[in-house]
Amino acid sequence: MSGHRVRAITRRLLQGFRRDRRTLALLFVAPIVILGLLGYLMRGSTSSPSVGIANEDSGPLGVMVADALRHSSRITTTDISAADGDAKLKDGSLVAYIVLPSDFSRQAQSGNVAPEVHLEGSQPGVDAPVLQALQQAMITLASQVAGRNVNFQPQIKYLYGGKSYDTLDYFGAAFVGLVVFFLVFVITIVSFLNERSQGTLERLMASPLRRGEIVLGYMLGFTVIALVQAAEVLIFSLAVLKIQNQGSVLLIFGMEALMAIAAVNLGIFLSMFARSEFQAVQFIPLVVVPQMLLSGIIFPVSTEPKALQYLSDVLPLTYAVNGMRDIMVKGADLTWSSLQLDAGVVAGFCIVLIAAGTATLRRRLG
Amino acid sequence: MTDSYAVDVEGVSKSFGAFKALNGVNLRVRQGEIYGLLGPNGAGKTTLIRLICGLLAAHAGTVTVLGQRMPNVGVLRHIGYMTQQAALYPALSVEENVSFFAAINGADEGVKDALELVELYDRRASVVATLSGGLRQRCSLACALVHRPELLLLDEPTVGIDPQLRVQFWESFRRMAANGTTIIVSSHVMDEADRCQRLGLIQYGRLLAEGSPADIRAQGGSQNLEEAFLALAGRKES
Repeated sequence: MSGHRVRAITRRLLQGFRRDRRTLALLFVAPIVILGLLGYLMRGSTSSPSVGIANEDSGPLGVMVADALRHSSRITTTDISAADGDAKLKDGSLVAYIVLPSDFSRQAQSGNVAPEVHLEGSQPGVDAPVLQALQQAMITLASQVAGRNVNFQPQIKYLYGGKSYDTLDYFGAAFVGLVVFFLVFVITIVSFLNERSQGTLERLMASPLRRGEIVLGYMLGFTVIALVQAAEVLIFSLAVLKIQNQGSVLLIFGMEALMAIAAVNLGIFLSMFARSEFQAVQFIPLVVVPQMLLSGIIFPVSTEPKALQYLSDVLPLTYAVNGMRDIMVKGADLTWSSLQLDAGVVAGFCIVLIAAGTATLRRRLG
Repeated sequence: MTDSYAVDVEGVSKSFGAFKALNGVNLRVRQGEIYGLLGPNGAGKTTLIRLICGLLAAHAGTVTVLGQRMPNVGVLRHIGYMTQQAALYPALSVEENVSFFAAINGADEGVKDALELVELYDRRASVVATLSGGLRQRCSLACALVHRPELLLLDEPTVGIDPQLRVQFWESFRRMAANGTTIIVSSHVMDEADRCQRLGLIQYGRLLAEGSPADIRAQGGSQNLEEAFLALAGRKES
């Protein structure tokens, strides 16, 4: 063991960093960005779910319960009519609505109340505050109905999911697509960079190959790999993990394929901005982590602070995640306008990236 | 008479930032000629070759190859380019590499001939990553000439190759030139220069002297090509 030789290795490493400013910047900037984003997301998120109240009670007690709900800090309420409820759950403007039936006051007097609670059901964690708020309102109610024990039996109805629906079902739907997206992205960016560093790209440029042909050829090659991977992930998720799926397996596969194509093109495009595999690997925390946090996988976009919502709205992954959940959790098919939008945005993103990849290929060697 | 020149470089300059890689270079190469670009490392040889095959665009001057102004994608199928490092796909076999370059040049039928020319036919199944430097260089040459280009650009093709193989390489270059292939070869090895029909000496981005090896010897006032080159280089510098 020679201290001198050990020092030589240590010094050599640090000298390399001194030249590679970008790596150095990333090492110190990335953790702040990632942690800052996470902190802002968790602290700044509006966690109180939007709940609709349809008070159809002909008696006086319904008004009182509705009022108690309005003042609950756990939820944000709006008054609706029961007939609009399901539509509002579907378009995402409400996560739940509570119906106080027309005989609510009479029920309360007889000691058994059964308000209807309609839950959207696809997002875990929002059901509990809704039920807690209602429970609280019932305590207020009980204090008004003197000398009687009021039995509280909410009628819970799920639009999607249901009782057996768990957190894995919610995250699984998003992750089926994500796993493919990220792995394909990493493989593409590194192998395209290899092409550059081993000199073969220069050779390709001096051949009759058009730049678009290179990008398309790459895209098809990696898409083949990605589709096999996508199929494997899908089979494992559905057959082994038993993630709930309400939609068509073919449609999920189609969405996965779109995400894979987007990932390949993102990899090709970003490889133009890296000079070495080392720098390419740095795109992973920079590209992958913020997208993980902002695409609504963990924190629903609707609960994010407003400023971050704008950011989420321009990330293609947000639409991909949304589309996957629409299919798997809600059983969406291509007649749904929300799925058309999601698939359209991801497809549009692919086209933009193919064009951008082709354009940057030209610039770097021109 | 311009169409009798396979390559016509006129007043070409190219800078990278503040660095002038080429400065007003004129150069004409006839069809079927073996033209040697000589010069020290960093003189601008590779830049000139990249300009000739259209990988770079000149800031001033024109490059005409086979009658077409460069850059021009249509001409590229008639050009074979062997880069300085053996640019190959290490995970593929020799034959798979050559077949790939044949396919992108639309010449799938030339693979066997190319492999035989560089004497790699028996090793065609070997994976490139397992080959020695010299064998890779041979594979790289096969990739450059598999589509029987009219113009072959060779950037230091014999670096890392043993003398025996070097002789073989030059024999095949001569044979191709006799069949009408124009060859531009860069080198900083003087004993290779003697095998060229004409030489161009490049230093600091300028063409210092041009002519047959005998002309260069006369201009430099020495029977030794290396001394002649150093004399010419020194004269222009002062």
